[in-house]
Amino acid sequence: MPKVPLIQTKALCKSYFNEELETPVLFDLDLTIQEGEFVSIMGPSGSGKSTLMHILGFLDNITSGQYLFRGKPTRTMSDDELAQIRATRVSFVFQAFNLLPRTSVLDNVMLPLLYHPTIPVYEREDRARKAIEKVGLTDRTDYLTNQLSGGQQQRVAIARSLVTEPDLIFADEPTGNLDSKSGVAVMEVLQDLHKQGHTIILVTHEMSTAQHAQRIIQLLDGKVDKDSTNFKRIIAKKSNTLK
Amino acid sequence: MRLRDTLHTAIIAITTNGRRSALTMLGIIIGVGSVVLMTAVGASMEELILGQISSLGSKSMVIFPGQQAGPGGAVATTGSDKLTFEDIEVLQKLSAIESISPIVLIPGKVTYGREQVSPMISGVVPNYFKNQDVTAARGRIIESRDIEGARSVAVLGKDSAIDLFGVSDPLGQKVKINDRSFTVIGILEPVGSQFFQNFDERIFVPLSTAKAVTSQKYVNFVTLQASESFDVAISEVKSVLRRRHDIQNPEDDSDKDDFIVRSSAQASEILGSVSLGITMFITMIAGISLIVGGIGIMNIMLVAVTERTREIGLRKAVGARKSDVLLQFLIEAVLLTLIAGVIGLVLGFGLSALIAAVLEKFFAAYTFAYSIPAMGLAMAMAASTGLIFGIYPARKAANLSPMTALRYE
Repeated sequence: MPKVPLIQTKALCKSYFNEELETPVLFDLDLTIQEGEFVSIMGPSGSGKSTLMHILGFLDNITSGQYLFRGKPTRTMSDDELAQIRATRVSFVFQAFNLLPRTSVLDNVMLPLLYHPTIPVYEREDRARKAIEKVGLTDRTDYLTNQLSGGQQQRVAIARSLVTEPDLIFADEPTGNLDSKSGVAVMEVLQDLHKQGHTIILVTHEMSTAQHAQRIIQLLDGKVDKDSTNFKRIIAKKSNTLK
Repeated sequence: MRLRDTLHTAIIAITTNGRRSALTMLGIIIGVGSVVLMTAVGASMEELILGQISSLGSKSMVIFPGQQAGPGGAVATTGSDKLTFEDIEVLQKLSAIESISPIVLIPGKVTYGREQVSPMISGVVPNYFKNQDVTAARGRIIESRDIEGARSVAVLGKDSAIDLFGVSDPLGQKVKINDRSFTVIGILEPVGSQFFQNFDERIFVPLSTAKAVTSQKYVNFVTLQASESFDVAISEVKSVLRRRHDIQNPEDDSDKDDFIVRSSAQASEILGSVSLGITMFITMIAGISLIVGGIGIMNIMLVAVTERTREIGLRKAVGARKSDVLLQFLIEAVLLTLIAGVIGLVLGFGLSALIAAVLEKFFAAYTFAYSIPAMGLAMAMAASTGLIFGIYPARKAANLSPMTALRYE
């Protein structure tokens, strides 16, 4: 019996409408991602990779075609339904970290739990501390986010994405704002998480970043251009300066 | 999102931007503070005036000759000879009247040795003291025998006794009223001020003596006390005087009368309507200042929404619903105005207490009073200002698309 894929799209189309004027971004996109995969979505700017991430991450609805999540069609959902899925199933790591300024690491990591419908209040801090431990920032738990280096801030963002134990983590250019050493540390954390069983979708335009994944999907003009197993996989090594 | 989390988030947003929050709140603080201050001062003033009026007693009234100059206006100088002693004799027979005292004033000065005062010198009958509910602290008041004999005796108010005699004993001493000698027979107990005139500065002589001195055929005014119903007494007095003065006035229009009836009940009625008007005026001003304050809140909240666009995007990305974001910003606005309201309340209360403390030094009868309904109203207005002016920015925040909000630079 074949395994139900975590993500499956069939002839997925997405267009933006600006006063009746249709701007197609994705066409007839077929894609399957299994649970536990570490996938890079690559492509030049304008290729539709951000739009794809927004759709797969339930930040946006599709125009036509099908998007099956764990085999269930997601067709169109109300804003509140999308919010509910974002709260429980998926999480994001952004290029610009998007941490709350002048707020402690702990509070930042606990933020998604405020919107989680089932995790009880008394479990919040415990879960947040465990997530912080996973990214190796236990000794920075009570620091304010603006007191941390860029690499540390991105690891806080990763901890935040772990705290709800989602099915899927999206990393949108996670190393884009970092120097190479910090970038390596962040990629190392992502690879660790993958080893622990998390499904990770990395969105990037840089081949060197994409090559940290097992599989690379290349988009071009809203279609899958290449989808192949990455045989030149880079393993991020322990950096001396961080961690 | 739980309400407690929303509240907590709002408090953090307010405190992390402490200085800006304080500046935002300023308008509301001033609005609420001024309402509390003005109503407290108004309540103190009202109490002060009511105290002056009610010192007359609820069954007392005063009749002045002359015509009313206008609504609630002063007594006119014309027609001040309209109340005659014959009128008084007729009024005296009315069963609705308990006691009546005509007053004849002697213009002039009172001297004792080198001391000289210019008080109100009133010729009265014993009933006067009954009407005013005042007794002698020392010696005696004017009695019937003083009237019958038209004696040259005087009763001094507490303050005029001190002014003339200082620490020495006035009883039995002779004072001069316009070169005529009067023997001091009594000192009145302190009364304080009535209708803003110091009662304790007055000097009283027998009515018959005053008539003889001034050769006046009319009375300056009359005080009287109703026996049972105040309203019955007032209407009987009016009908008797109108009949005697040939005035047709079935519609009870005080402008047609040649006499004026003043009572504490009437005065407090006028005061009531005046203070209602003032309260409405203050509330209107406060309303305007709260609207201005509310616009300030709206501006700052709009700035906050723009500034925190990425935060809003993030919250949405991690699962915040529209309603969560809406509520967060709305609660923040209401909380801002509520905190501002409390600060304004405390400031206004403190300031009015301070003003009362200072005024009490100059104005013994001034007491600190405050209006709790006005405070409640001010707070409610502040909170609803936050609610009304918070809706627009909160909706703006809630409707932000998470994708664009996240990329906002």
